[in-house]
Amino acid sequence: MNNKTTSFLYHFLSILLAILFIFPLIWMLVSSMKPEAAIYSDMGSLEAFLPSMNVSEWLMPYREIFNRFNIIRYLGNSIFYALSVTAGSIIINSLAGYAFATIDFKGKKLLFGLMIALLVIPGETIIITKFVITERLGILNTPLAVILPLLATPLYIYMFTIFFRAISTELQEAAMLEGATKFKIYWKIMLPMSKPAIATVGTLSFIMSWNDYIWPLMVLTDSETYPLQVAITNINNTQPVYTNQVMAILTISTIPLILIYVFFQKHLVQGLSSSGTGVK
Amino acid sequence: MKNVKGIFRGFTGVRPKARSTIQSSALKENATGFLFLLPALIVLGLFLFIPAMMSLYYSFTDYYMLTPDLTEFIGLENFRTLLSDATFRTSVGNIFQFVLFIMPIQVGTALGLALLVNRSRRGTMFYKIAYFSPVVMSLVVVSVLWLYILNPASGLLNEILQTIGLPAQPFLSSPNQAMYVIIFVSAWQGAGYQMLIFLAGLQNIPEEVYEASTIDGANKWQQFLNVTLPMLKPTSLLILTTTLIDAFKLIIQPMVMTQGGPLNSTLTPVYYIFRTGFTDRQIGFASALTVMYGGIIIIFTVLQRKFVGGDKNE
Repeated sequence: MNNKTTSFLYHFLSILLAILFIFPLIWMLVSSMKPEAAIYSDMGSLEAFLPSMNVSEWLMPYREIFNRFNIIRYLGNSIFYALSVTAGSIIINSLAGYAFATIDFKGKKLLFGLMIALLVIPGETIIITKFVITERLGILNTPLAVILPLLATPLYIYMFTIFFRAISTELQEAAMLEGATKFKIYWKIMLPMSKPAIATVGTLSFIMSWNDYIWPLMVLTDSETYPLQVAITNINNTQPVYTNQVMAILTISTIPLILIYVFFQKHLVQGLSSSGTGVK
Repeated sequence: MKNVKGIFRGFTGVRPKARSTIQSSALKENATGFLFLLPALIVLGLFLFIPAMMSLYYSFTDYYMLTPDLTEFIGLENFRTLLSDATFRTSVGNIFQFVLFIMPIQVGTALGLALLVNRSRRGTMFYKIAYFSPVVMSLVVVSVLWLYILNPASGLLNEILQTIGLPAQPFLSSPNQAMYVIIFVSAWQGAGYQMLIFLAGLQNIPEEVYEASTIDGANKWQQFLNVTLPMLKPTSLLILTTTLIDAFKLIIQPMVMTQGGPLNSTLTPVYYIFRTGFTDRQIGFASALTVMYGGIIIIFTVLQRKFVGGDKNE
């Protein structure tokens, strides 16, 4: 009896919390699939959480917002920025991690220490002088301004360093005896062996770039170059504002992330908890 | 880049007979190591190290972006202004309010969710997905979405409140409520991710420990206090510290939801830096803000590392 009550309580609490956590996502999704007026007339009833009864109306808000704004362009920009950052960040951070892990060069200790020290600089507070540098480089309002700063991250270099150190040196030594260059060893042996680290750094980099908002807002002035996140607040401030169309663009921006989380969830937790124990 | 590569080839291709192999291979290692690091060094130098140093330097000047030639060295003037600046004080007060509330709420919720999910057998996958669902939305999406849900006049939440007989609330348009709303939305967004990390921590606790404590006659609550919590200590510390540092950097939610208002009640230091430096172009003063506030965060980070990671050897 007592057991049944606790079990019931647990399930009741679980469901209540589940509703609290998921209702905004569902409301966003269904509100993007009904006419504007229906969002507000449905609000007093449970129909607020159902899409339009008329299936042909589901895509209407999407059609309308695609007609009003160049959504394809924003989506394309976001995908281009995120993929460039992902590829670049994997390569640049792993190259540096490889150097720290396997090559003995002068000043290595100093540079590694400096990099660990850089970890404590809160990037968000230096955006102003970062902007000044970007302006002096003459890359304001270009994709480079958005992509370049995200290509190297002390934490990811650290993760690759730890990962490469753990790989046995036998294969590398054998390859070296056969005359392989350091780069060849990195490219042909180390990288293919570090798929977990690549998946973690790649996923985190993709999400970081996709969600980036303040920095692109600062360095991009031409709306043609906007990523989705900047376009969203822009659209939300452009009269006339239609709730169903805003919900449509929010949904469009969220779908790629849902896919990423579904396919790479494992690596995200592994990455964070392992890097955590590593830093600890 | 090409030049450096040329030098590198020089080291490897032409190997003078007189030079010992050891020496030349050491040189080669130096050059190779440097080359592998070069791209990262350039990026980190340009967008992290130099900007940090520039902030330090500009904080002693009156650099105004539109008249860079008139920039003068003004010593500690910016810091004097800053200390008597009411807006800066408000923003620091706001962020401490945010940190103080978000820490227990978000981390506590995350732990609670992990315990719930870890316990129940049926429907675990569904609950996990539900609790995690806010994480898949970016902060901009979350902020805009809640802006609509929380709209005092036509929002979903007031509609629900009135349906169950409660009075409608002003939410973000009230200086007394706005920060608490932002705290709630932020905790709601972040708890699911930390739940997963707690869950990984929970699953690492060996079953035998529980069995042993059951044999010793411990009840569920004693088990939680004496087994689960201590075993979760590393995970909890990791989560608490990352939450702390992240919380200090709050800017997107207030920027999108309230523009720092009403009456500066949600203005945060990073947002204030953005406004003075970017909107008003006062690079000098913004740099002083950066040094001051960045300094506060760095102190917290270093203290936390000392406190948490006493056995760190790197």
